[in-house]
Amino acid sequence: MVKKDGLKLNAWFASGEPWVWMNAAAVGISIAAVVGLLLLIAARGFAHFWPASVAQLDVEFPNGVSGVLLGEIADRESLSANQYLESTGQTTEALEPEQAVVERWLIKTGNRRVAPPDFRWVATHYIQAIDYPENALVLERMEWGNAYGFLEAVYQDGELSSEGEGAWSDLENRLKRSVGLRVEIHALESGELNGINYALERLRLERRSLDRRGTVDDATREARLSALAEEENLLLASFQDAESRLRSLEESLARDSIRISTSSGQELEVSLSEILRAWRPNSMSTPQKASHYLRSLWIFLSEPPREANTEGGIFPAIFGTVMMVMLMSVLVTPFGVIAALYLREYAKQGAFVRLIRIAVNNLAGVPSIVYGVFGLGFFVYFLGGNLDALFFPDALPAPTFGTPGMLWASLTLALLTVPVVVVSTEEGLTRIPRSIREGSLALGATKAETLFKVVLPMASPSILTGVILAVARAAGEVAPLMLVGVVKLAPSLPLDGNFPFVHLERKFMHLGFHIYDVGFQSPNVEAARPLVFATALLLVILIIFLNLTAIMLRNRLERRYRGVEA
Amino acid sequence: MTSESTAAPANPGFQSETASHSGGASTDASLLVNDLCLFYGDQQALKDINLSIPRKEVTAFIGPSGCGKSTLLRCFNRMNDLIDTVTVTGTLLLEGQNIYANDVDVAQLRRRVGMVFQRPNPFPKTIYENVAYGLRLEGKIPRKELDDRVEWALKSAALWDEVKDRLKESALGLSGGQQQRLVIARAVAVQPSVLLLDEPASALDPISTLKIEELIHQLKSDYTIVIVTHNMQQAARVSDFTAFMYLGELVEFDKTDDVFTNPKKQQTEDYITGRYG
Repeated sequence: MVKKDGLKLNAWFASGEPWVWMNAAAVGISIAAVVGLLLLIAARGFAHFWPASVAQLDVEFPNGVSGVLLGEIADRESLSANQYLESTGQTTEALEPEQAVVERWLIKTGNRRVAPPDFRWVATHYIQAIDYPENALVLERMEWGNAYGFLEAVYQDGELSSEGEGAWSDLENRLKRSVGLRVEIHALESGELNGINYALERLRLERRSLDRRGTVDDATREARLSALAEEENLLLASFQDAESRLRSLEESLARDSIRISTSSGQELEVSLSEILRAWRPNSMSTPQKASHYLRSLWIFLSEPPREANTEGGIFPAIFGTVMMVMLMSVLVTPFGVIAALYLREYAKQGAFVRLIRIAVNNLAGVPSIVYGVFGLGFFVYFLGGNLDALFFPDALPAPTFGTPGMLWASLTLALLTVPVVVVSTEEGLTRIPRSIREGSLALGATKAETLFKVVLPMASPSILTGVILAVARAAGEVAPLMLVGVVKLAPSLPLDGNFPFVHLERKFMHLGFHIYDVGFQSPNVEAARPLVFATALLLVILIIFLNLTAIMLRNRLERRYRGVEA
Repeated sequence: MTSESTAAPANPGFQSETASHSGGASTDASLLVNDLCLFYGDQQALKDINLSIPRKEVTAFIGPSGCGKSTLLRCFNRMNDLIDTVTVTGTLLLEGQNIYANDVDVAQLRRRVGMVFQRPNPFPKTIYENVAYGLRLEGKIPRKELDDRVEWALKSAALWDEVKDRLKESALGLSGGQQQRLVIARAVAVQPSVLLLDEPASALDPISTLKIEELIHQLKSDYTIVIVTHNMQQAARVSDFTAFMYLGELVEFDKTDDVFTNPKKQQTEDYITGRYG
């Protein structure tokens, strides 16, 4: 009987069915892991922008202290009674008799300046009553995070404009006005003032170059200097003009103010120049909430960060990441393809070429931070330093290219990813059938003509596969970038309206580094946490998008070359 | 070109002991092979070949596998150069010019000696671009002239009627036989003087094979054709002259009728009658 069972089991193993099950299980686990990861960061990241209801909690603590908390319920968790007591340092009297589990909520109460902290844990058994007042107001402020309270009155130039129920629609109208003013201010700052500053800096550099070089005689130098001075005066005049316009806009923005009362009973005066948005989530309908959500999402995607990256958007980081990856692809593709062409088509195949090939493959395994160190030492200090000495001596000792920047970051990542492109291009080249090459050669094409007209086009899907892998790796890389160009906050994008428009010497922001910075370097961890998830999701989406584009391109090419017999 | 010097049959040097060219008086030689030896490394693959390929006739190379007939064929457009270990001695004259001379431009040579391979090898481009490929290598050609020459080449390869409405479609969508005729059109387009066909029908079905053979008949009025084939019936059907090779040596070369009906060598007779090979 036993023996028979053993045979059955053996037969079952021999049938291969266990392998099928194991493979299916492995695939299933992988898919579950990926989907779960995406769902987790999507839920935690993008739920953040939904306008949460504002709860008013009456809290009474056992020591007799009681109060009212107004804010969003940011998180809920259950703790065992022991854990709770240990973490809060309380004794068992703080709990109900025989209570085993404590539930506590994280309340985002805002009002960081007047009533810190802005996040508080509250055990639910202290909460006496929960209310969602219709007129609870949320203010998104330029500084100090959100404010929660009730709108009392609206003022214009210090005079009372409206009070009570009418105040809300009054505030809404005034906010519309300030949005327009903000747009004007932004245009003035980043357009005109920025341009004038840039022009002034160029004048300064030209003056320095005139001072430094002995190549021009005194008369021409004097003439040139006075021309420069004249130009500078004109610029300064227009600068002052723009600045005074800016000041009047800012004053106009600060014309209105509101008074709110907070849950702790304080009265708070807030200037409209401080307020970005105001909403009353408890009285919003679902479509209104949806529109608010989309608006918040758009702000997140399209605006620069504020408040040490814990508020505002991440546009510069998206822009920096995309531009860096694209520049990297542009640099790595020709480099990798040419290297592969030489290795596979021209170099005499032997021990030496094999050695080089092994070395190239192993480069892919070098830890990325090592590339960062190399990039800093070679690109930034050596290449950049020499470039500065040669072409930008006027700006010295302030470095132009001799400091981390977009170009060096892209080059470092190109170097990091070149093995992938070399390997997949080589694979593509070996797959081109001999008969096709011979067909071209037999028509009187030279080797180079055969390579460029027939072989390389046919290898293009493989080349693109290499680029896809390179992009996937480069877009997610953070460590080397911290050394060669990424910063927490870049004052300007590497692409703008000032000649020569592309500023590859500038430092830039990067989504991967932004995640690290917001998550671990932030002064306000609770406020920043949803942004970490949102940014992470965005980074994943961005990489998927970049990859999909390349994959679609590759598939199109593959369709064209399908059916060539090997 | 220099027709005096290439009046091959008048030149006794080309006639080897093993290959008598009895019917050659009426034709002159397009290709003249003198004492050609070819080595793969140390191994000799062709042994003292002497041969005169008559102009505008079809010459077939037959022989068992590995006898060197394809290797010999690939000498005519120096395709063997692609293999590093190959060394060639002797001379091979194309219209009186030694193609193994040092100053020969191999690319130019290959434009004069077209080649079609065993398996159809169209490029993964459109039908039009396949035919135009060789033409474009000559440099910039006006669109109209290019169109005309592509059409002419496709007509020469008896393919025009089948593809004239889909010139812009991929050549890979054609059937095997059509692909092979496209490859012939591609080779003909650059107007070579010699066409080398390396078992051009061995990968095709009988009907396509028949079409290729008809095409060879048509083409021989304009080109010197050399064909390698395993199929003796095919050699008998399409060729005017036949060379039988065995173990790197040219055993017999004569008019096809003579080789098949009245072989001079025992080896040839054995092979033709199917006693070995």
